[in-house]
Amino acid sequence: MVSVINTVDTSHEDMIHDAQMDYYGTRLATCSSDRSVKIFDVRNGGQILIADLRGHEGPVWQVAWAHPMYGNILASCSYDRKVIIWKEENGTWEKTHEHTGHDSSVNSVCWAPHDYGLILACGSSDGAISLLTYTGEGQWDVKKINNAHTIGCNAVSWAPAVVPGSLIDQPSGQKPNYIKKFASGGCDNLIKLWKEEEDGQWKEEQKLEAHSDWVRDVAWAPSIGLPTSTIASCSQDGRVFVWTCDDASSNTWSPKLLHKFNDVVWHVSWSITANILAVSGGDNKVTLWKESVDGQWVCISDVNKGQGSVSASVTEGQQNEQ
Amino acid sequence: MEKMSRVTTALSSSALTGHTMHCHLDAPANAISVCRDAAQVVVAGRSIFKIYAIEEEQFVEKLNLRVGRKPSLNLSCADVVWHQMDENLLATAATNGVVVTWNLGRPSRNKQDQLFTEHKRTVNKVCFHPSEAHVLLSGSQDGFMKCFDLRKKDSVSTFSGQSESVRDVQFSIRDYFTFASTFENGNVQLWDIRRPDRCERMFTAHNGPVFCCDWHPEDRGWLATGGRDKMVKVWDMTTQRAKEVHCVQTIASVARVKWRPECRHHLATCSMMVDHNIYVWDVRRPFVPAAMFEEHRDVTTGIAWRHPHDPSFLLSGSKDSTLCQHLFRDASQPVERANPEGLCYGLFGDLAFAAKESLVAAESGRKPCAGDRRHPIFFKRKLDPAEPFAGLASSALSVFEMEPGSGSMSWFVDTAERYALAGRPLAELCDHNSKVARELGRNQVAQTWTMLRIIYCSPGLVPTANLNHSVGKGSSCGLPLMNSFNLKDMAQGLGSETRLDRSKGDTRSDTVLLDSSATLITNEDNEETEGSDVPADYLLGDVEGEEDELYLLDPDHAHTEEPEYVLPQEAFPLRHEIVDTPPGPENLQDKADSPHVSGSEADVASLAPMDSSFSLVSVSHALYDSRLPPDFFSALVCDMLRFYAEQGDVQMAVSVLIVLGERVRKDIDEQTQEHWYASYIDLLQRFCLWNVSNQVVKLSTSRAISCLNQASTTLHVNCSHCKRPMSSRGWVCDRCHRCASMCAVCHHVVKGLFVWCQGCSHGGHLQHIMKWLEGSSHCPAGCGHLCEYS
Repeated sequence: MVSVINTVDTSHEDMIHDAQMDYYGTRLATCSSDRSVKIFDVRNGGQILIADLRGHEGPVWQVAWAHPMYGNILASCSYDRKVIIWKEENGTWEKTHEHTGHDSSVNSVCWAPHDYGLILACGSSDGAISLLTYTGEGQWDVKKINNAHTIGCNAVSWAPAVVPGSLIDQPSGQKPNYIKKFASGGCDNLIKLWKEEEDGQWKEEQKLEAHSDWVRDVAWAPSIGLPTSTIASCSQDGRVFVWTCDDASSNTWSPKLLHKFNDVVWHVSWSITANILAVSGGDNKVTLWKESVDGQWVCISDVNKGQGSVSASVTEGQQNEQ
Repeated sequence: MEKMSRVTTALSSSALTGHTMHCHLDAPANAISVCRDAAQVVVAGRSIFKIYAIEEEQFVEKLNLRVGRKPSLNLSCADVVWHQMDENLLATAATNGVVVTWNLGRPSRNKQDQLFTEHKRTVNKVCFHPSEAHVLLSGSQDGFMKCFDLRKKDSVSTFSGQSESVRDVQFSIRDYFTFASTFENGNVQLWDIRRPDRCERMFTAHNGPVFCCDWHPEDRGWLATGGRDKMVKVWDMTTQRAKEVHCVQTIASVARVKWRPECRHHLATCSMMVDHNIYVWDVRRPFVPAAMFEEHRDVTTGIAWRHPHDPSFLLSGSKDSTLCQHLFRDASQPVERANPEGLCYGLFGDLAFAAKESLVAAESGRKPCAGDRRHPIFFKRKLDPAEPFAGLASSALSVFEMEPGSGSMSWFVDTAERYALAGRPLAELCDHNSKVARELGRNQVAQTWTMLRIIYCSPGLVPTANLNHSVGKGSSCGLPLMNSFNLKDMAQGLGSETRLDRSKGDTRSDTVLLDSSATLITNEDNEETEGSDVPADYLLGDVEGEEDELYLLDPDHAHTEEPEYVLPQEAFPLRHEIVDTPPGPENLQDKADSPHVSGSEADVASLAPMDSSFSLVSVSHALYDSRLPPDFFSALVCDMLRFYAEQGDVQMAVSVLIVLGERVRKDIDEQTQEHWYASYIDLLQRFCLWNVSNQVVKLSTSRAISCLNQASTTLHVNCSHCKRPMSSRGWVCDRCHRCASMCAVCHHVVKGLFVWCQGCSHGGHLQHIMKWLEGSSHCPAGCGHLCEYS
């Protein structure tokens, strides 16, 4: 079901920690312990190095592409406690902003849906989450949520932009009244949901408890035709949960165990139509999961096992036993 | 003798035990040094000079060397060193430039032994010779290094660095006579202790001050240096020229560097500002610290490995007035915390996956050359076989491709491009889309389209729907009547298959005719109102026709739209003509004459060359027979749309919504529709399917969506008199204060549709200009411009 089409020669001198494709799927940004961020053009199976961004003084943990309506913008966060925002101007990539407001390694960055403007959420090992908002003319406004997660925050992920009520009801010319929300996962084994209050302050809206060890990644599913909100989370404890909130008004979230792996699960990533979840674990394996008609999550493919074999024959019962 | 002592200490080290612990000091520490028995540590600072015993659970103060009621400046220590051969011998460097030696064996309270007051400024560093009991070296801020024989009262020799302050001096372990010194100007000098006149070797090691250096303990000739440039460099001093063999970049200036015992590639560093942590680095992996000790709350000033052959105990003193013992196993390991994998779902359903190479390499070894044809495996970075260390890491990055059907998005693009959404009769649209879906191997979708066709295009229903439209909203009470009438009609028409072809042809030509006229008119309307040159958009003229029709079906819409367009009076009849004679009603009128027409519709539906099963056709007949109105199915259809949307196939939901139009729209709430449209448009734009996206925007009936096409369109207008851009709103030019919207033909102010040449800014009423251009291609204003109208 899955085959390798391309092995990218990144020439990174150390471990790669993140790889992100841009909005159009034509460029791939990678970041590594070697302090560099690299951007490749991967159109048509190619792999042309476009930029090698140097500026961090420690391992770079994560990169995130902003929506192209703001230009070509990439954010990176690093062990050196910095968040750097890079921008392409006339074909060359340069640092446009450096955020140094954290006291420890910054582990995760995530851009808000483009409807809100340029907003970046950064989660750090100092337990805080900071939100950088572009206010124009090179200025960034910083809001900080202190003690978001004790010991540290490992992942942040924004909720898709959803407007309460129809767009038509909005007074014309005014920005729709979005409710901004994001999820974060941390070393306190918790997933927290944050919501912006009317006064612009961020407030903890919900605490999701199910993991028994550090939460490594959270991913809010894109809202493509889905009436529900869905979040996937994975943890050091090897478990992957899919959280759903069917009723937005009561705001109750129910977890469903997707699978218990034998090793740390590092990443969860949704396909753009949010119907397939890719999970990568400590055993260097990627598995793809899809919800079957009866609501069970089934492994549909196993990337490392390679070409033909699809675990579609594996029934849910067997999956659960594993 | 040196070897002897090493053997003995190595033996005793096996008994070294302890915990991570700390104790509070009275004052900030500047330096620490460990006794060779690994059981005591001396802490020195501006106002502290104490010896602590390192016990199992705690530090115990053993001796305070700071005696006397009013301690002299000689006791303000910048550095301290404990002799590695003589447990009773210590030396301190004072901030006032004095070098003091201490003999713990003295019976009196005051253990001070000798005082050397030769340096003029702060002494930064003191160092005992590793194998010679009486030789002491000092380096000072005044730029001089001095060598003392403890048996003599004065220094034996003075070395002038000929440059700025000396920051560190260290005897080589390998060469008896050699020592290294580091300077604030970035230089490192190598001296022979017997030749004070000039240094043996000098090189620039860092950019900015070199704060510290340390010789590798295992006779390798390696010297580690740390500087304000945040780097630790490892130099091979055995070669003719000092060669940089490793370089570690830390996040803050490096104040101290110490090789870790028994671990050839490890060294510990601490910083003199900003960063309070102590790091242990593997020099071969210069980017991530192997271990990190985070106990201190202020700058760490001194670090020392507790025993020269034990790699697990590290002692440290800090400005936060604490003395710590760190256990390596308690250290936090950033490498362990680091995420070894990157995973990203690409747009086209491809996966980018980066993982540690060691594991991946093993995998790919098992199944050779899994890569594709275009990019053979040799693109992958080779591991250097000379460095098979586990501590090293590199990652391989692969892009995986989904095969069609599993997760690849190629079907999405194909479908989006090939679906027909409007401009043809419903049955044809359904057939076409069904065919597209089938060709792409999406049988369920294909079947759905077929079903839709059967549900909505079964005999009589189409005309009904159209009738309903032409009657307008609120006529639902009249619907059943029409329905039955038509059904009766149809019953007559059925079976008369012989005339099918002819009547079918008739209706078809009708439709075509109407469509083309609609195209013509709306086309012009649009170009003129927008003043743009994008005729390509209006290739979908028939689409436009339908859109108009849809708009005007709803009386509310019709009213709201009119004032916005400010259509000229003369344009109205044309538009109304289109509206009043949509294809459906036309057919119906024809049908009134010939009873076969509705029958022909039925045939279009059921006889079209399709591989749908006959059972389905018979179902449709059954439905027809039992006279089920299409409303009967709408709940089902809506459920189906929701199902597709939830499956992530919002494309299907939107396509059906557009194709069925009014037939299902009312049954799905506005918000959901909007959400589907928005999602689908967003997806289309991600795939760069701008044309399809635009078409969907145009065909959408939700105002929130269709206004997307009106947003961010700017109209630049030049004044027709002065040819300058008009800045303000309205049609009066700021500069010449004349109205710019005069018709060049009739010289009246144009209200409504104004058409103008983009070259000379002259224009006028659409009708007038059109007429003028029939006779002449020059500008009617007489400016001589050869006007072009697209």
